[in-house]
Amino acid sequence: MQQIINKICERALSELKGVSDSKSLDELRVRILGKKGELTGILRSMGQVSAELRPKIGQWVNEARETIENALAEAQKQIARRELEQRLESEKLDVTLPVQDRSEGSLHPMSLVLETLLDIFTGMGFEAVEGPEVEYDHFNFELMNIPKNHPARDAQDTFYVDDNIVLRTHTSPVQARIMTTRKPPIRIVSFGRVYRADEADATHSPVFHQLEGLVIDENVSMGDLKGTLDTFAKRLYGEGVTTRFRPSFFPFTEPSAEVDLTCAACRGKGCRVCKGTGWIEVLGAGMVNPKVLEMCGIDSKKYSGFAFGMGVERLTNLKYNVPDMRYLYENDMRFLKQFRG
Amino acid sequence: MKIPMRWLKEYTEIDMPAAEYARRMIMTGTAVEGWENTARFTNVVVGRVKTCQMHPDSDHLHVCTVDVGAGEDLQVVCGAPNVAAGQLVCCALEGAVLPGGTIKRGRIRGVESCGMLCSGPELDVPDSLYPHCGDKGIIVLNEEYPLGTPAQDVFGLGDDVIEYEILANRPDCLSVWGIARETASVLGGHFVMPEIGYKETGKGTFSDYAAVRVEDEVNCPRYCAKIVSNVKIGPSPKWMREYLHGAGMRSINNIVDITNFVMLETGHPMHAFDLSKVKDSTIVVRRAHEGEVLKTLDGKEHVLNPSMLVIADSENATGLAGIMGGEESEIVSDTASVLFECAAFERGNNRVTARTLGIRTESSGRFEKGVCAETCMKALDRACMLVEMLSCGEIVPGAFDFYPHPAPKKVVTADVNRICRRIGVDVPAETMEDILLSLNIDTEVSGDTLTCEIPAYRQDIEGEADISEEVLRMYGYEHIPSTLMTGETMPGFRNEKQSFATGIKKTLVGMGFFEAQSFSFISPAWLQKLGLSDDDWRMKPVEIRNPLGEDTSVMRTTLVPSMLNALALNMNRGNESARLMEVSPVFHPGAEGELPEEHPWLIIGMYGDGADFYALKRAVMCLCAKYGLTPDVQPGGDGYYHPGRKAEISIRGGSVKLGQMGEIHPLTAEKFELSERAYVAQIDVQALRTCQAEIGAVKPLPKFPAVSRDLALVVDEAIGAGDLLRVIERAAGKLCEGVKLFDVYRGERLGEGKKSLAFTIWFRSPDHTLTEQEISAAMDKILAAASKNAGAVIRA
Repeated sequence: MQQIINKICERALSELKGVSDSKSLDELRVRILGKKGELTGILRSMGQVSAELRPKIGQWVNEARETIENALAEAQKQIARRELEQRLESEKLDVTLPVQDRSEGSLHPMSLVLETLLDIFTGMGFEAVEGPEVEYDHFNFELMNIPKNHPARDAQDTFYVDDNIVLRTHTSPVQARIMTTRKPPIRIVSFGRVYRADEADATHSPVFHQLEGLVIDENVSMGDLKGTLDTFAKRLYGEGVTTRFRPSFFPFTEPSAEVDLTCAACRGKGCRVCKGTGWIEVLGAGMVNPKVLEMCGIDSKKYSGFAFGMGVERLTNLKYNVPDMRYLYENDMRFLKQFRG
Repeated sequence: MKIPMRWLKEYTEIDMPAAEYARRMIMTGTAVEGWENTARFTNVVVGRVKTCQMHPDSDHLHVCTVDVGAGEDLQVVCGAPNVAAGQLVCCALEGAVLPGGTIKRGRIRGVESCGMLCSGPELDVPDSLYPHCGDKGIIVLNEEYPLGTPAQDVFGLGDDVIEYEILANRPDCLSVWGIARETASVLGGHFVMPEIGYKETGKGTFSDYAAVRVEDEVNCPRYCAKIVSNVKIGPSPKWMREYLHGAGMRSINNIVDITNFVMLETGHPMHAFDLSKVKDSTIVVRRAHEGEVLKTLDGKEHVLNPSMLVIADSENATGLAGIMGGEESEIVSDTASVLFECAAFERGNNRVTARTLGIRTESSGRFEKGVCAETCMKALDRACMLVEMLSCGEIVPGAFDFYPHPAPKKVVTADVNRICRRIGVDVPAETMEDILLSLNIDTEVSGDTLTCEIPAYRQDIEGEADISEEVLRMYGYEHIPSTLMTGETMPGFRNEKQSFATGIKKTLVGMGFFEAQSFSFISPAWLQKLGLSDDDWRMKPVEIRNPLGEDTSVMRTTLVPSMLNALALNMNRGNESARLMEVSPVFHPGAEGELPEEHPWLIIGMYGDGADFYALKRAVMCLCAKYGLTPDVQPGGDGYYHPGRKAEISIRGGSVKLGQMGEIHPLTAEKFELSERAYVAQIDVQALRTCQAEIGAVKPLPKFPAVSRDLALVVDEAIGAGDLLRVIERAAGKLCEGVKLFDVYRGERLGEGKKSLAFTIWFRSPDHTLTEQEISAAMDKILAAASKNAGAVIRA
């Protein structure tokens, strides 16, 4: 009997070697171990065997079953692995096949720069404010200490709607509106479109963008202005970037300064961008003219303030090296697609 | 303003190269734009033509031997018709750099040539600098010079000319004296005014020659005049021509040159009248008569009005005060007696007149910035002194001087501590005093108070803030410390409006759109192209009174034309597709004298790959969804859209209009030169913002299963799928969780003009598992409503 069982076992194991798919494996399993299988048949014929042999036969059958089951399980594993490999092989893709590689558009480069500026200044405690683009002469000029027929108006060729309404030439009227309606302390940045009667060319645009800051409080000094702009410069272009103040004139500030930043391209060593000077002219700034404060109803004996302004187009050109200002307003997709964000 | 360094050095010391000088001036507030050498050539010397023979192989070239004082004579081939032996000429040596190029040794038609004999234009030397040098061929020098003398010495060239940009607050620096004075203060040198004096050798006195009457003392606060008799008109001396040339002015004749020279030197514009042409020898400073006509020196006729100040004789206007003289009283070669005018005219009036007439001269430029009345007489004396120096006339004793209200002394007091606080630098009072004194501001220190007497020419200094600037700029802006703002901490933020606009843009960026920026002013013709009706408010935009051109003459009332132009530009440049958006205000005209209202709108435009009405609608719906809105989209919109492919977007049952979208009408597309189908949506940003829904409290996740049913309904073509969906939603009641259209089918079996719309409807109850009866009841209601509202029948 033992021989019969061994034979079944050996045959099963040798047949197993020829099995290569899970279906044949299952068939084999049923034929040997199934309810009507060969091994099961032996157990079923136990009735004809003597009582003392029964435990032995049972043990032999169980041993054989165990051996076969182990072998089956092992074969099952291998087959599964092989079949998985085949499936994976058949599912191979051409990973070089091109797909749509860009689904996002982008903000306009000037918006990207403006976002950066607003992030920096709101982070420094400035409130972002806006005002009308078509503005009263009163806010745009008069309150900025530029009376009618003042030569300083020459520097800002103005579009007029009527005698008293202009397209704002700077974002300063927003400051005037805030100063005439709020009490110090004031800490704001105004931003937006401004207009000057310059023909559009590679370096001019009749429409452009400014961002201006204003701080009014007790004991505000030119040192605070420099400190603020130094911080701004570092946030914009990184550590090691600083500011240089040069005396200048603006009707609404006194003293006034042109402010240069360390050239970000060469870190102040001198290069083509900064024409060898190591500095880039970026801002106009100064202490708010006491006349402006008084005209806006702020006590210039008690309060002082500083203001600064910069052109967004200028900073955009510095950052992205835009060769022609007109690119910024043409909206050619080939230009716009070069930006992300 | 250009000033030759040599001219400056007559009045103050400058012992440094131009670059260093420029730096010092810039860092103390005088902007220097640059500097250049007046000589546009190198290596050109005086030589004598020793022999001059015809070129053997040419009928116009000459072969010359030229002695340039170098020992060996040069052989030079010269093509000028006027070359001759014996002439003293300017010879460019080998290696000389001229405006036209570098001179090389070479052969001209087989004959060696070792240089070039130069003409005026070849050296960039104009007639006004060296008379007749450009007449015919090479320059022939009239005076003797040692052979080999550098040509720049002959013409007084080789000096550095500094170009200053004078800011509006410092009109006193619009002169050689002003800059010399400023230079002396900056460099710590001295400003030495020339000793002014002359003999009055003319016969009679002023009143024997002329009478002057000033009728408008507001616009002419000072008027000074002197008479020069026995005038001998001729060319100015070389030194004067050289200075004028360096400063960028042309030499005319001695008398005119003197007036220009004095203007450049003192900052006082002057005028010279030929007295023989002044009727009744009477000069009247008055307002022009309405419609009075004046022909100015440049030959142009101007029609004047009574706001304009003129200089007139007893009958007619002979010049625009401070702007330009009249052709009539021009100085000519036989002028015998001259009246020199040096006046102060009110800057505002002067500016308006110059602007109105479109004239801008050196003179008007100075007057509108402000000319100091105090020093008019000094400038006039300087002119007389030059007349004597040039021996071109006799000064008549006496003068006319109208100056009814001499400017009072201006005294400004300032507090030392407040100045220090303002500039952030601790400058000792004594240092402040020294600085102010160096600027000719007489200053007394008493305790912490500075009492400053401001020189008349410093019209810009009015108060303590100005004094603080003077102190700081001379002390050095580099001393400003970098300090932190003190005072109360303030929250920095962007307001909700600003964040909203950025949010819209970023959402669209996420959907593949690129932000555009276009001008806020447009052409009225572009509005015409939209074909809006005449009474549409958008056809009455805010107009700019002085636009650059028609294309930029009105403030836009809609963003559509700008977007169509941007799309057209991309099409015309062969870009396959474009997806653009812009958020910008449109301008609603206000009442007379009031500001327009500015309303931000969003415009979206697209064409090419993947662009169609539904792609556009998807962008609009996705954007609205971001703000919790599911707008109603109904056929309709402006006439520039395709009539079958346009929609109005609204919410709250149509009560709030959000905007429009659609394909551009082919006829509109043609007008805007759109060569492909283009799609444009416009959304009122303010409406979107004010209607946005907050994300409220979170709903608990459902505990009971959902049940879905599919339903295919056959309706007439005219029934909108979205409309039917709404009907279903409303009819389905509270248990309905969602409805989705999953198929649209048209086919013969349905019949002509019919379509089948298939929906999936989800039902769910928050508190129990739905029963079949509940769902059937809901489906019955849906069917009833669909039948009633849309004539829908279940698809067989």
